Amino acid sequence: MKTKGHKAFASLRAGVVATVAAALVITPLAVANSAEVPTFGKKCTTEGVSTGTSSKSLVCAASSGGKLTWQRVRLAATNANPVAALTPPKGSIEFWHYRPEDKAHFELIISNYEARYPGTKITQVIKTTTDYNATARVQILANPRAALFATARGSIFNDFVNSGLTLNISNQRFVKQNLVSKGLTAGTVDGKVLGVPYHYLFNNPVYNTEIWAKEKWAFPKNLTQWTAWCKDAKAKGYVPLAWPGATRGQAAQISNSALMNSAASYADLSKNLEDLNSGKIDLTSPWFKGVADIYVKLRQAGCFPDNPTGVTEASALNLFATGKSPILPTGTFSMGAVKALNPELGGKMNLMSMVLTDGKVIAEGIMNNTFNLSVNAKSSSTNQKIALSFLSYLATGPVAAIYGNATTQHVNVLDVEYTNVDLLNTSPFQGKNTMLAPRFLILNTAVSDLTQDALIQIVGGKNTDEVLADFSKQIKQKLAG
Amino acid sequence: MGLPALLLFLAFYLYPALQNLQFATRRWDGITEPEFVGFRNFTNLLTNDDLFYKTLGNNLEFTFLVVIFQTIFALLFAVYLVNNSKVNIALRTLYFFPTILSSVSVGMIWLFLYDPNFGALNLFFNKLGLNSFALNWLGDEKSALYAIAFTQVWFHTGQMMVVYIAGLQQIPKELYEAAEVDGASRWKQFRNVTWPMAMPTTLVVMAYTTIQSFRAFDLIMVMTNSTAGPNNSTNIFSTLIYLTLFNELRLGYAAAQTIFMVIVMILITWLQRQTFGKRYEK
Amino acid sequence: MYKVSRVIALVTFAAMILVPSLIVVLGSFKTDAEVYNKPLSLPETWSLGNYSRLLSDSDLDISFRNSVLVTVSSVILTLIFASLASFAIARMITVSGKVLAGLFALGLAIPAQINLVPIYYIFRDLGLTNSYIGLILINVTTTLPISIFILSAFFKQVSKEMYEASEVDGASPLRIYRSIALPLSKPAMGATAIFLFVINWNDLLWPLLLIQESEKKTLPLAMLAYRGEYFVSFSMLFTAVMVASLPMVIMYLFMQRSFIAGLTAGAVKG
Repeated sequence: MKTKGHKAFASLRAGVVATVAAALVITPLAVANSAEVPTFGKKCTTEGVSTGTSSKSLVCAASSGGKLTWQRVRLAATNANPVAALTPPKGSIEFWHYRPEDKAHFELIISNYEARYPGTKITQVIKTTTDYNATARVQILANPRAALFATARGSIFNDFVNSGLTLNISNQRFVKQNLVSKGLTAGTVDGKVLGVPYHYLFNNPVYNTEIWAKEKWAFPKNLTQWTAWCKDAKAKGYVPLAWPGATRGQAAQISNSALMNSAASYADLSKNLEDLNSGKIDLTSPWFKGVADIYVKLRQAGCFPDNPTGVTEASALNLFATGKSPILPTGTFSMGAVKALNPELGGKMNLMSMVLTDGKVIAEGIMNNTFNLSVNAKSSSTNQKIALSFLSYLATGPVAAIYGNATTQHVNVLDVEYTNVDLLNTSPFQGKNTMLAPRFLILNTAVSDLTQDALIQIVGGKNTDEVLADFSKQIKQKLAG
Repeated sequence: MGLPALLLFLAFYLYPALQNLQFATRRWDGITEPEFVGFRNFTNLLTNDDLFYKTLGNNLEFTFLVVIFQTIFALLFAVYLVNNSKVNIALRTLYFFPTILSSVSVGMIWLFLYDPNFGALNLFFNKLGLNSFALNWLGDEKSALYAIAFTQVWFHTGQMMVVYIAGLQQIPKELYEAAEVDGASRWKQFRNVTWPMAMPTTLVVMAYTTIQSFRAFDLIMVMTNSTAGPNNSTNIFSTLIYLTLFNELRLGYAAAQTIFMVIVMILITWLQRQTFGKRYEK
Repeated sequence: MYKVSRVIALVTFAAMILVPSLIVVLGSFKTDAEVYNKPLSLPETWSLGNYSRLLSDSDLDISFRNSVLVTVSSVILTLIFASLASFAIARMITVSGKVLAGLFALGLAIPAQINLVPIYYIFRDLGLTNSYIGLILINVTTTLPISIFILSAFFKQVSKEMYEASEVDGASPLRIYRSIALPLSKPAMGATAIFLFVINWNDLLWPLLLIQESEKKTLPLAMLAYRGEYFVSFSMLFTAVMVASLPMVIMYLFMQRSFIAGLTAGAVKG
């Protein structure tokens, strides 16, 4: 933690108040800057402050007697220390995933692993996301050598589960002791852990701290302030939001923020989304009209780029990387790509909340756990053992650190030391009141795609009521087939 | 003599194709037990699926544009370059060049050229002061289909030109010499000698281009980030079937769509033969 | 008038091919910022950085070899099978000729991708996934109808008298095929070969479905992976396009010459 991100990291600690009830998401605190030296069992002053997210970190919490004391952070399902990787039998398996950009990093991890366990071989099978989502399930079903595979949270993972491909790994010690248990939700079905979500992402806007400081902007705290900010930024010659309307998956990130405060509670929101998914309500419902109205207001305030529906992900990232745009409304996962485009932006990016309501705030940010790693239930038991062993290896702190730092990604593993400045800077977001990305609650791919397309059309300038009616009809027809 | 071809064709083409007929009467996600639904997939397609009709319209428009323009340009350039002079051979080589690129490469190049903010095309129009030509090419549902059709024509005109040149070079020189003796203009020569004599090639070119346009799948997927365009404006049958099959996991429904696509393709081929084939036989 | 319009048309189309090519060539030496902001200008510094970065973490050489192997085998086999069948169709020498003509005409109307899922299950059961042989088989099968369509159109053009003359001599169909039809159809075979080469070389669909092992990937499939890897970096994508296309362009220039030579020396004219 000797990077310059350290300061930003520590300075935010005081502003963050997390409740102990939500202590699974902890505000890390730099011990060196602390007035009180945290010692296990000793008295502390600020509830919710912690010394980090590692298994040995302490958190200031109310004890049974009501006094605030330093207690062991409990991020995993149990209090026990993380375990070492399982020893595999000899043999070889395939590891299927959809992140070509991770190829080299996994290669390194695999070669370390193979050196440690001679006779065991892991081969990566990599496809691009689109092709993976389209063909991998059918191919893995026919290929028991694919003992370990990745799936995206939501409908894709759901499809694999329904195909009976995912082994129940709830009882593995590393699942209980090495992983952040809140982060397992995305891989859990009916109480059974069927996949380990490896990534811990924040789908919140990334902003350029340099431009922000230069323009002396304050962070918009509600919808009114956001529209006012857009007008100001636009007047100053910026493209306020580098929104990639031509790349549905990334254009959709902002919908998480629009959705998160659109209903009275998380329960209401998830019910609405499930009803939309099943066809019980459609896009013309008052609730969704409210969501669409947020987009209309942002559009009218000039938040989006010109020709928004033609802006590809590449072009949006470039708008942000070249400083034409102060905000990239996608998430932490884009920071690596931004840095590749403009290395000077390293350390000059941070995350911001996007509260798009003037009413009640339920959540101030979005988190997401994805890249679910599952063991193939249809593989031989030897191959399953190898897959479990490699998965448990990935779930150890030092290995996960290699991955997280190399890919600029927070990971869902305990005891990871982030050396990457951008990861360090954005870590405090773990202390915010975040919501698991709601858009993935629409499990039907066709409904999900059409919902996003409708919003994209609205940003493109079409009449809101016509778009909502038209797309509701299309959704209805999809659900009828 | 045709036995090896026949065997391969039966085993790996016709048999799986016929399996689609069986699939079309099922509701099936490819994994769980298929459910027999009779003709429901067909009735749904015809009576309760706006996207299907939109796709049909897109596909007809796309195919029509590509076949007409690609054939006209291919023939035009073939006529221009039919003689084997050094310059002509060099130009043929150049024109054919895009064909050797993979559709992934071509899609990536045009994705860049069409970018509304950074693309070379809009840069070009803006420099010339033709700002109104600088469109949101792939992002606007009004222009996306045309933009991809243009790329498709750019991609394959050279290929069809080579076919035409092969055809034109087989036309006996005496016919032109006779026409010239009669004092026929270039247009007359084209009208009376080239066009009728090249008719077998035209049929080949049009039939091939038709099939090719139905297979523009790779290009559309690359250029629209696998979404079939804004508001499905570049969805054609092949992308629709692919997305229904793999994105929505509705194998039975995709099979029903496939059957309609086959019907449409047969109709188009038949129409082409009616229009051009008849005149040729006269 | 004719000359002027000819020159304008030829130059315009030439520019439409040259300019994007130039953007790609120059772009492969540039940084992303330069590609975006000055696509047509020369790179500020001619850096080979993109190339060394691409070559250091790529298997494009293996993919290229795979593509050559699969494409060449597929083209040769298709030409043999298709020309035999076309000859049968054109001459209608057997009943199978008529059956073939009907079947392949139907096959022409049915695009290959409708068979994606059935083919996957069939090939899996036959152990033909992740296999060059499987890929070649499906390539040959799916390109047969179009090859036969093109070849039989040409075969039909070859004058009947020539066939009949040789039949009077008592030559067997196979002999007529070999010593008369084949030499006469050189230009057609050349054109078809180029067609097939292009289709097989560019094909993404079947490798995508059948090949998973990275050491058996063909070029378009490997390219697709690079699209995923460098999805935001057009300079890297252009570099990948360059590396993937350059050996092909050289081969093409060479092939194009012999192809045109073949056309001029065609038996039909001679």
